[in-house]
Amino acid sequence: MNPNPKKEVLLQVRDLHVHFGSRRHPFEAVRGVSFDVYRGETFGIVGESGSGKTTIGRTIIRVNPAYSGSIQFHGQEITGRISRQLDREIIEKIQMIFQDPMASLNERAKIAYIVSEGLQGRGLKKEEIDARVSKALQDVGLLPEFASRFPHEFSGGQRQRIGIARALVMNPEFIIADEPISALDVSIRAQVLNLMSQLQKERGLTYLFISHDLSVMRYICDRIAVIHRGKFVEMAPTEALYRHPLHPYTRALLSAIPQPNPLVERNKVLEVYDPQAHHPEQNRAWCDIGDGHYLLGTREEILQAGQTVHGT
Amino acid sequence: MKDTILSVTDLCVDFHLRGKTLHALRGVSLDVAEGESLAIVGESGSGKSVLNKNFIGLLDANGEITGGSIRYYGMGDKLRSTPEGGMDEEGRAYVELTRIPSRNKDWLRIRGSEICMIPQDPMTSLNPLKRIGAQISEALLLHHGMKGQMAYDETIRILEDVQIDHPQERYRQYPHELSGGQRQRIVIAIAIACQPKILICDEPTTALDVTVQAQVLSLLHQLKDKYRLTILFITHDLGVVANIADRVAVMYAGDIVEVGTSEEIFFDPRHPYTWALLSSLPQLGERGEELFTIRGTPPSLFTEITGDAFAMRNPQALMIDHRERPPYFSISPTHRARTWLLDPRAPKMERPGVLDRIKELGGKTDESKS
Repeated sequence: MNPNPKKEVLLQVRDLHVHFGSRRHPFEAVRGVSFDVYRGETFGIVGESGSGKTTIGRTIIRVNPAYSGSIQFHGQEITGRISRQLDREIIEKIQMIFQDPMASLNERAKIAYIVSEGLQGRGLKKEEIDARVSKALQDVGLLPEFASRFPHEFSGGQRQRIGIARALVMNPEFIIADEPISALDVSIRAQVLNLMSQLQKERGLTYLFISHDLSVMRYICDRIAVIHRGKFVEMAPTEALYRHPLHPYTRALLSAIPQPNPLVERNKVLEVYDPQAHHPEQNRAWCDIGDGHYLLGTREEILQAGQTVHGT
Repeated sequence: MKDTILSVTDLCVDFHLRGKTLHALRGVSLDVAEGESLAIVGESGSGKSVLNKNFIGLLDANGEITGGSIRYYGMGDKLRSTPEGGMDEEGRAYVELTRIPSRNKDWLRIRGSEICMIPQDPMTSLNPLKRIGAQISEALLLHHGMKGQMAYDETIRILEDVQIDHPQERYRQYPHELSGGQRQRIVIAIAIACQPKILICDEPTTALDVTVQAQVLSLLHQLKDKYRLTILFITHDLGVVANIADRVAVMYAGDIVEVGTSEEIFFDPRHPYTWALLSSLPQLGERGEELFTIRGTPPSLFTEITGDAFAMRNPQALMIDHRERPPYFSISPTHRARTWLLDPRAPKMERPGVLDRIKELGGKTDESKS
């Protein structure tokens, strides 16, 4: 199964389905998604709003229950009913950074409490908790004194750093970052991105990076999966995806990125993806066309795609 | 150059907050030509929205214009007899917008029918209790006195103009039945129904997906040609700027630090802040390398700023940057920047090499498509 035996699979997702609503009229938010995340890499999921990308992240940290399929972390099944001990372990190892730093911090709690909340009730001494909080704050480039302040005293970029500190204090292995920079200003974005890659280098963190912005993904991700209406349509190493976008939806997404170059923008031709014009869905299969490049397509499309990538 | 439609000179706006004074705009000067699209770029808090609110007389109650003028030339002689009307040196009639009191009736003849604004978030800017059609025909009734069948026909025509499919059905629907992109089109439709000369777009695409954003931008391009609009586009997304703008004004700490055509700003930027803003774009970064970041935070506008506002965050600031505010230096007839680096006595400073990558951007993706 593992195409690259050198890399260790940290998280394995197989045929994941997530349903919302009643059992009789379910809304299928995620419809059969499979992927591996290797230790130390940054895996990106890109798609428009409502495509199910956030739901996948939330299902991994067990906020939303999976309807069917499996999620394995370190080879251990973490969906459905699991032992209390495993649950605690996962809370420690998998952490999440949220999109909007203005909304995701408790307005009435001090930073010390916000950051330390995950450590409470684990039989740790107060001194140890305080030490870990100030260490986490320093790691994200904030001063330990900030622990006694309230969230409203901080700017957007600083708040997002607090959000990152809250994840780091648990010493996680795997961080799910759900649009961590889309609510930030341009100049602050670069700071947070740098911080995230620096932490990854120092601690060997693995990221699942969820975003709708392909221009940022290219900079930060090692591999990218494109999701459309609850299904992955294409997954590839970043450069391969940008060089040979095979699925029409991927091409539409790529052509829609605004480039900061007025000459290019003026002559741009938008590609619009019309799912109706595409062949009916039932004959489509999720196939590997080589070099870790996966595509959802019919037999002919897969064959043609293989020629585009490997031909010439 | 085409006729100027809006001319801002040395505009200063202060806000009074809990006994303190915040200098939101510190002497902004800007000319907007008829039919162009001008993008105003800056971080949050740089004053770009405050500047535009002055044009429609919607400055917050604690705000005060302390100096400068805004002349609007689009109305001809219509408001000539009012105290705000006037004639400039070349004999063109104008309206002095800073002199109209905020609740004056004259604003009703300007706001909407002359200068119109598209707000940021389409989710909150439509009335959830009224049908789409009623919200658009309301604008037709108020601004053109259209009623009944005539207003209905016109509304359908406008809905078609903003590329809403099945306009007859949409006319009877409520905002919650539409997606974000469609709602933004409805908001644009309301603005267009007023037939304004200037359309102010306040980050109209930040709440939208990339694909929808691209469609809304191309819609704005088409409407601009069809209705001969002058577009003022407020944004912090430089990719969007490259798409829509003929000219770009870069704002920092309540001041325009650089203004020029979009080619000049993207390919030949001169102000250190513009350099920094462009260099920090993730599109220019290579994976594995650190992205360029601007150190520190924007200066507090509660305190008086001496010298160049960006000097504190600029590692290569000159001594004079901390002491004296730079004037505008012209690089070309359309391009000027407020930085001492352009003074003939200043040491030669090379712009960051990373900026040369801008020219290659997008070129690569073109190859891959073919």
